[in-house]
Amino acid sequence: MERVGAGEKMGGGLRSVHRRLIFFVLVALFTVQTGLTWTSSTQVVSGHGTLDAAAYRGRQLYQEFNCTACHQFYGLGGYMGPDLTNVTRAKGKGVAFAKGIILHGTQRMPAMGLTSKQADDLIAYLDAWAASGTYPVRAVNLTPWGTYREMHTNNDQ
Amino acid sequence: MTSDRNARLFVLLGVGALWAGALFGVVGSWQHVVPGIFDAVPFVKARPLHVSLVVAWIFMVAVGGVYHYLPQLVGAPLHAPRLLRLHLWLWVATGLAILGSYGMGRFGGREYWEFPPWLGVMVGGSWLLLVYNFFRTVFKLKGPWPVYLWMWATGIAFFLFTFLEAYTWLWQRPDDNVVRDMTVQWKAYGALTGSWNMLVYGTSMVVMERISGDRTVARSNTAFLLYALGFTNLLFGWAHHVYPVPSAPWLRLLAYGISMTEWIILARIIRQWRRTMQDAIGQRDHVVHRFLYASELWVFLNLGLALLISIPAINLFTHGTHITVAHAMGSTIGINSMILFASVFHLAHGAGKEPLPNSTSLRWGFRLFNGGLMLFWLSLIVAGMVKGWYTVMTDMPFQQVMERVVPFLAAFAVWGLVLFAGITVLAWQAVRALWWKAFWERGRHSSVPVTSLSPTNLP
Repeated sequence: MERVGAGEKMGGGLRSVHRRLIFFVLVALFTVQTGLTWTSSTQVVSGHGTLDAAAYRGRQLYQEFNCTACHQFYGLGGYMGPDLTNVTRAKGKGVAFAKGIILHGTQRMPAMGLTSKQADDLIAYLDAWAASGTYPVRAVNLTPWGTYREMHTNNDQ
Repeated sequence: MTSDRNARLFVLLGVGALWAGALFGVVGSWQHVVPGIFDAVPFVKARPLHVSLVVAWIFMVAVGGVYHYLPQLVGAPLHAPRLLRLHLWLWVATGLAILGSYGMGRFGGREYWEFPPWLGVMVGGSWLLLVYNFFRTVFKLKGPWPVYLWMWATGIAFFLFTFLEAYTWLWQRPDDNVVRDMTVQWKAYGALTGSWNMLVYGTSMVVMERISGDRTVARSNTAFLLYALGFTNLLFGWAHHVYPVPSAPWLRLLAYGISMTEWIILARIIRQWRRTMQDAIGQRDHVVHRFLYASELWVFLNLGLALLISIPAINLFTHGTHITVAHAMGSTIGINSMILFASVFHLAHGAGKEPLPNSTSLRWGFRLFNGGLMLFWLSLIVAGMVKGWYTVMTDMPFQQVMERVVPFLAAFAVWGLVLFAGITVLAWQAVRALWWKAFWERGRHSSVPVTSLSPTNLP
């Protein structure tokens, strides 16, 4: 019986121990990055975009009605409907506009049968997003490195 | 060989999931073009049905391949065949519960895992059975691992981590905010796709080794270094998904730097292109080779696209557009599905020992699949370019932007039908062959020892 590893020699240079070392160094760095991501991955101004009790309930409703199938925050989600990042604070839209659509639907979006209280919770969730920053970034300010300046700082500031 | 039959059942059910997932994909694509069409399955249901079934195809065929090939590669039987059976039926039961929840409009989870969170416990629990069985089996192997075992081990372990991380939203923190929430979510999703890519690419290397008989490639330093590069991207490259999100700048800049290391892989593909093409022409009559060479073409196209949209200045225009969909479809269909079909046909036909049935159908299926996908992919890219331009460079409302995009989405929906026709032909051929193996020949090979199937015994 010949097994895949038995008796095989590695090519010159990288021995088995080196391979394991590379793997574990990468995993260790990933662990550090994970800790930092969970604790300090945002530079949103303190208090902006935080979730209070109403926003948490709104988040639950957003998920229970699978709104993400059609809508996005910061461009992430489905593309059937518009991005909702700034809907509660955008010029020409706002809280009343958003609540009207949530309660009554549009030609393409059905009314979901939410109560006024539930719509308020959903608005609280949407408003937490609106407070966190602006999307899309329209003032294109490119750098020679292929980045744009808004990416180097918090775009809420 | 009961465990092998269960491994084949994983693959067989995975092929069924692909066909059903593609069907819901057709429904969803036409709903973008003709509002109100297929009202019985509104988009809010069609999208998760499509995504979950296609993800199920990737996982079931990749995992079925691991269960099938692993005992042969290690030269020892699977550690716990009963746990494989339990995994299979737990997975099937969970899958049906998930489809049922979508059908009834019961959600509660997040994008890609939209089902009620308690079903996530069943997904994670069934995966633990694979973790246990895989590592108990693979550690019977003495000596250094070929790179595909590294890939499988990484994919299996990291899927579990990333799946748990994707559910950290259940833990409410007093200092929670939406940006961190989204950043952690996309950290998990970035590693999730990296995990299944590890499983699929590992499978690709196993199939290539078995059909070529060349055992040096998977043990070379180059193979390991390319794996390490892919692993680095899995771990640190995910933040290119969230460039516009106001997360910490170091995260986004790190992801930019890491993502650019993939130019090395692209350069290597270009350098080897001539040889790849010569090999492809020489092997064009072999269905497994055809799928593997097609996957190389799709790696080239998608890697090129991924590298371009990972440059923040370009991402500014492509993020939140159908170019992202093109990248996702190109990767899951163009790369992953080509490799998985290669594995399916390799596995279904006795590792090349048996003739392939109805090869004219297979050739047509292959042509429809690749041709349809190419035009489908290009339509999405053009749709995304139009949407990105009008969204970033003008203040045009969403509806007006979409009016300009819809003609290209119509093309995408039409080419999606061609792609679906190709998938139907290939899935039918695969199911026929796998059904025969899984049921008709049941018991015929019950006395075949594991070792007689080891790669060294292949023709």
